[in-house]
Amino acid sequence: MNRRIILYSLPALALLFTLLVVPLLGTFYTSFLRDVSYLDKGGLTLSNYTNIFQDPTFWQSLAFTIKFAGISVPLELLTGLIIALLIDQKMIGGGLLRAIVLIPWAIPSVVSARIWELIFNYSYGMINLITSNILGVRVNWFGEAWSALLALVVADLWRTTPFVALVLLAGLQSIPPELYKQARVDGAGRIRTFFGVTLPLLVPFLIISAIFRTADALRVFDIVFVITEGGPANQTMPLSLYAYRFYAGGDFGKGSAVSVVLFLASLLTALVMLGYYRRKRVVY
Amino acid sequence: MLSFILLLLTTLLLSGCTDKESELTLAVGGAPAEVERWEEIIREFENIERIRVRIIRQPADTDLRRQNLVLALRSKKKDPDIFLMDIAWVSQFIESGWLTEIKGIDISPFFESAIRVDQKGERVFAVPLYVDCGLLYYREDLLKEYNCGLPSTWEQLVECALRVQQGEREKGRKDFYGYVWQGAQYEGLICNFLELSAGTGGGFEDLDSQGNLKALIMMRDMIHRFQISPPNTYTEMKEEEARIFFQMGKAMFERNWPYAWKLHNSESSPIRGKVGVTLLPKFRDGDHASCLGGWHLGISIYSDKKGEALKLVRYLTSKEVQIKLARKLGWNPARKDVYDELIKEQPHMKAVLRSCEKAVSRPAIPYYSQMSEVLRKHLNAVLANRIPPARALEQARREIERLNEMYR
Repeated sequence: MNRRIILYSLPALALLFTLLVVPLLGTFYTSFLRDVSYLDKGGLTLSNYTNIFQDPTFWQSLAFTIKFAGISVPLELLTGLIIALLIDQKMIGGGLLRAIVLIPWAIPSVVSARIWELIFNYSYGMINLITSNILGVRVNWFGEAWSALLALVVADLWRTTPFVALVLLAGLQSIPPELYKQARVDGAGRIRTFFGVTLPLLVPFLIISAIFRTADALRVFDIVFVITEGGPANQTMPLSLYAYRFYAGGDFGKGSAVSVVLFLASLLTALVMLGYYRRKRVVY
Repeated sequence: MLSFILLLLTTLLLSGCTDKESELTLAVGGAPAEVERWEEIIREFENIERIRVRIIRQPADTDLRRQNLVLALRSKKKDPDIFLMDIAWVSQFIESGWLTEIKGIDISPFFESAIRVDQKGERVFAVPLYVDCGLLYYREDLLKEYNCGLPSTWEQLVECALRVQQGEREKGRKDFYGYVWQGAQYEGLICNFLELSAGTGGGFEDLDSQGNLKALIMMRDMIHRFQISPPNTYTEMKEEEARIFFQMGKAMFERNWPYAWKLHNSESSPIRGKVGVTLLPKFRDGDHASCLGGWHLGISIYSDKKGEALKLVRYLTSKEVQIKLARKLGWNPARKDVYDELIKEQPHMKAVLRSCEKAVSRPAIPYYSQMSEVLRKHLNAVLANRIPPARALEQARREIERLNEMYR
């Protein structure tokens, strides 16, 4: 019996091994090499790590990455929750609404990034068109660190909220209706029911989406690459773009070292959240 | 299980062998119009030389194109045999040993600053296909209306821009600006910077030199002091952004590459026929300078058809084909000896030739992209008015010195 299980899972394991473990180990290994395309290869070294740790841009990128994830993920969970609660209501055209909500998620992220870049554009963007007509001012959205961050968060929020909403919707629909009936019998109002029944039972789903979204937000690349390229003055430089610059410049050792740091950061946050999830999991 | 693995392996092997062995492969940019143009050019070559060529479509974005090539070369792929390189990466490719030496091509007709990038000592590893140099576009009608002379110095440009801007705004065009250029944090910013600094003793060599300082102060002042350039100059202004701004009739002067000429004079352009083009200004005590861009042809060291590849390179850089490329596609020839003929048909080519003769190339060192990364970050911070120019240049110098130690 046992042998069969191993046998049957072998193809899947082989696939996982070649697609996940091998490249991962390869990146780890490369991060300890002097691997620059135009220089002689060196032996094992720690210099990639010491170099990036001495680089102020690395710390700036790390800080931005954490800030970005720290702001966008909670907002996504909140808006995702609201949307999930709305589309969970029984109403005419509910199915259609659910499909529409998914559209932003189905649009390639580069396209949606471009759309948001145009919306925030200084001279002909929609937002400045409105503010210049009503208030008589134009805002240079990508000109300050805070407003550039805001624009990026909004773009990310629009794109990924549907994913969170979908996960939470599945969670909402898995809550047994008897619990709501019971709450009504006990005389709980809507708000009381939400905080007493719905929310506690949704926590595992919230954590799952938080894990996915945090890992994604820490690796954010596409929208930044399209919208700001790290500017102004490196104020919106995420770690992934920082790593990418090394790869593009032919320094695979340092690129890998940054990737390893990024990987460890994602892994660590995921593990912490997973631990929390284990404690909060509810078994009916 | 064993049979499964065998099956997996054979599929992997087979999928690796589908590349057609008899064809020469050429990697070009993937913008739809560009691919079409290439197919046309290649068909003629195929008819003459009887060599089949397959075009590999790359991404349209410059950065992604490089990444694409670096991956293929790192894994020692036989294809593509020939590819196009942005002038800024040629040196990295040469130093990485990814290019085949190109022998038997007369390099004397090419723009010297372009071909110099392709050489290592006396040996030639790439050939320029077309060049790009910065130009100053201006509104001929407004120049006359406001009685400005054509500015030959930056000081004159500022003066004229201010006058026109004020006048146009008084007429109710509140979002009219004097001068648009590229100041976003990207490679184009380096070019714009070099065009001000290189003619007055600045450049990459001595970063905190007086020339660089003067150029950077001027750039910052155009945005913040004279306010002749819009506030989004340092956030959104790239080539297309500036071109559209100018083409909508909202600016007096524009810095851009030669490609903008055709678009400014296209059927639907509101400023059609009102545009002039000339050399970029200089500082009173300096000389004109323009940033040299363009794309170069290289043959992969892993190519299995180097002989045929060389024939294609020769064909594309021949006098006849260079003229054809300029006429049909608007690519500016990398050969100086074809301009006389082109100027007769397209007067703006005179400005292109003059500008390219004054062109300076960015440093031909393999880690140039990291250097550029550092410099554009600090330049952009000055344009955002976050730090004073002198401090930014000093910091950039120190960071670039660190790079020199790291990658020497």
